Amino acid sequence: MSKTLRPKVLVVGGGPGGYVAAIRAGQLGLETVLVEAERPGGTCLIKGCIPSKAIIHAAGLFEEMTRASSVAGHLGIRLETVPKLDLAATMRWKDGVVDKLTGGVAGLLRRAHVTVLNGWASFADAKSCAVETADGTVKIEPEHVILATGSVPVELPSMPFGGNILSSTEALSLTDLPRTLAVVGAGYIGLELGIAFAKLGVRVALVEVAERILPLYDEALTRPVADWLHKHDVEMHLQAKALGTSARGLDIETALSDRFTIPAEKILVTVGRKPRTEGWGLEKMAIEMEGRFIKIDERCATSTTNVWAIGDVTGEPMLAHRASAQGEMVAEIIAGKRRRFDPAAIPAICFTEPEIVSVGLDAPGEEHVVGQFPFMANGRALSMDAGDVGTFVRTIAEKNSGRIVGIQGVGKHISELAGEFVTLVEMGATLEDLAGIIHAHPTLGEATHESALKALGHAIHV
Amino acid sequence: MADYDYDVLVIGSGPGGYVAAIRAAQLGLKTACAESRETLGGTCLNVGCIPSKALLNASELFHEAKSGALAKHGVKLGNVELDLPTMLADKDKAVTGLTGGIEYLFKKNKIDWLKAHATFKDAHTVEVAGKSVTAKNIIIATGSSVTPLPGVAVDNDKGIVVDSTGALSFKKVPGHLVVIGGGVIGLELGSVWQRLGAKVTVVEFLDQILPGMDGEVRKEAAKLFAKQGFEIKTSTKVTGVSVKGKKATVTVEPAAGGAVETIEADAVLVAIGRRPNTEGLGLDKIGLELNKRGQIETDHEFATKVPGIWAVGDVIPGPMLAHKSEDEGIAVAENIAGLTGLVNHDVIPSVVYTHPEIAGVGLTEEQAKERGEVKIGKFPMLANSRAKAIAETEGFVKIIADAASDKVLGVWIIAAPAGTMIAQAAQAMEFGATSEDIAYTCHAHPTHNEAVKEAAMAVQGKPIHI
Repeated sequence: MSKTLRPKVLVVGGGPGGYVAAIRAGQLGLETVLVEAERPGGTCLIKGCIPSKAIIHAAGLFEEMTRASSVAGHLGIRLETVPKLDLAATMRWKDGVVDKLTGGVAGLLRRAHVTVLNGWASFADAKSCAVETADGTVKIEPEHVILATGSVPVELPSMPFGGNILSSTEALSLTDLPRTLAVVGAGYIGLELGIAFAKLGVRVALVEVAERILPLYDEALTRPVADWLHKHDVEMHLQAKALGTSARGLDIETALSDRFTIPAEKILVTVGRKPRTEGWGLEKMAIEMEGRFIKIDERCATSTTNVWAIGDVTGEPMLAHRASAQGEMVAEIIAGKRRRFDPAAIPAICFTEPEIVSVGLDAPGEEHVVGQFPFMANGRALSMDAGDVGTFVRTIAEKNSGRIVGIQGVGKHISELAGEFVTLVEMGATLEDLAGIIHAHPTLGEATHESALKALGHAIHV
Repeated sequence: MADYDYDVLVIGSGPGGYVAAIRAAQLGLKTACAESRETLGGTCLNVGCIPSKALLNASELFHEAKSGALAKHGVKLGNVELDLPTMLADKDKAVTGLTGGIEYLFKKNKIDWLKAHATFKDAHTVEVAGKSVTAKNIIIATGSSVTPLPGVAVDNDKGIVVDSTGALSFKKVPGHLVVIGGGVIGLELGSVWQRLGAKVTVVEFLDQILPGMDGEVRKEAAKLFAKQGFEIKTSTKVTGVSVKGKKATVTVEPAAGGAVETIEADAVLVAIGRRPNTEGLGLDKIGLELNKRGQIETDHEFATKVPGIWAVGDVIPGPMLAHKSEDEGIAVAENIAGLTGLVNHDVIPSVVYTHPEIAGVGLTEEQAKERGEVKIGKFPMLANSRAKAIAETEGFVKIIADAASDKVLGVWIIAAPAGTMIAQAAQAMEFGATSEDIAYTCHAHPTHNEAVKEAAMAVQGKPIHI
């Protein structure tokens, strides 16, 4: 016999959008059900942001130690033998982090009195949902629905995932390191993983259709990453197309129509992600779409009353923190608060080597003034071996008002500058404001301060 | 009108002085800077912030490698040895790069470097290397030096009883290092040598380490340092240090009085504070008096009581921090040029570069409570996913807000990258942000900064991840 639940809120999908919406709804006293087929945490916690950062961190340590063993006494550390990688231990570490965090989310959901149904949701209409759980079918007829189904990796028709062809998910769970790896798609996911594997000693080749890596970012921001790749013998095939696989590896065609095979034991395909809109009855919900995505307004409302959608299923940027912020907001709207999703900026970070942070407008026009400050002239960067040529912070402001509309940076260890960049844009700071804020010395953030001084025409340290 | 050699003469080339000189030159003023040290940059660049941070960075990596902490990440190492000469040489390289950089900036901005000590003859004239130099405006930016402990003779060359300068260049790792003073400098340099293998004992006169910081932060920090192997003796007074051969004996007693105890040490670091540098300046010649703490008083434009004489940095009241000096340096140059240069002394962040780092800006909980009712939000780094992914889960973010208006009054952070994180807190405070403003700002995932957002949500009573 199936039972029927009639909660105030049904959340579909337990990723950073869905679980945050459910916790916030629960905190606000709304009776809430969350449906998730896997553990709670979604792509981000289980096979995205978190495991990749754990592996990127380990890879960074391995590379640093490898340098210490090859350059006699690098930073004063002398190693008798070349460091060895114990991939199983790295993966155990990564799995431990993921287990702790997903377990933590489950605990948070419990504490917020959210009912979690482990199973696959399928809608008969916008307000009728059935979930196949291990204990049978549960019907749910909620007052509100929050769709947070996320996204999945895009497959290349000529190279479906499986065997030696990996999506980011499989790449994060390898049991052996391949000697050679071809990465198709040099966006941020392909580069973060490609660089991590290169640091671990894998011979990596990148294949990208566009004319440079990270095509969503401008040339100046991506140049230091390209430099790193060159310096570390990562092969780059730009304006090249992946055709398919052969026994030896990956067949590609270059811009000049040359065809050849890149030797590769494994091939990682990271050509993008697409909204997860299939397999759960979206077509029966009579919801208006916008291209591939569910159409939403500034309150994350869909075309159907009391059906809301958040996160990757609603469009770009497909970022966990956008999903979380939307989830939190929708829960508050359902609880009766007046909210809308109108951030001045959503920060984006590439955990590449070096790291890239971008907030707000990144393509200045005639009406803008730009101030750029190099990390070469930043004391903290120099004290951390992070003053590489070509790395910088860049602040973009309106010429007539001085209002800061965008800040970007590229450099080692700068991901945490995202907080400062987004605060400035969100507060509507002008260049003069930023110039007047005392930055602690010696910190990387002093480069942000100097970039404003530069835009005002009087940087001190360049 | 009198004809001067310079529009502006700056005495001292530390972060206050060299920045003031560059800003003055940028504003079209003919500028000189008197500095007797071989290199520009003052304490900060030569024997302070920069070399200590280079050593902190390298020693942290060494400690991670040596302690076997990397094995859990899958990085297996054979025998790990310290190459101290290389580590110290790397540090010197970072220093030379930066001091050379300042010299280049001086040339670029056409600032004359007068390479000698400057002494006042009158309010517009100083004597430098036997020559008289005149200037319409003179900025005193002479900084500070280590406060001596009565009865304790520092000898950096010998390397047994040293101050912070000596502790940047020990020829070998001391077996037992006793640090006198549990402030920022003592704990940072203590951390360096502890990571490189020294046993470190910190002796602090007060009942807690890190004076001036938030009470909860001080307590948590003491716990973390103890866990790292520091021995911390609070409420303890050092009454003497004697050196015999290559060993030192430190005599201590309870601050409140009581039984005397001795501690054997291979090295002793005296780090009880710093005092303003005013000796030998000839301030009597211009009739400029010091306050009770030996500092030069200025108004909010950094003008002293003597017309034409200005002062910035450690030599005036306020926290002795390089970035405070730099911003004062910019402001004073702008004021001299007829612009309006202001410094908001309520929002000056401070950072301790231990591991984890400790940073704060604004009021402590204790100070805030004296002024009125507050609301406090805290979020542990243990619940931050970025911290977890890289095994840096110690510490917390604490936000103190006014109970009625929700305006943020102070932010305190213990976290691996706390020094980087504090910038956004200072910014929010400079804009008079409420905790709700911070809570509703979209923070990038996964970053440590998300903990700042969650702590702000905790002020509102509703963090997500705890």
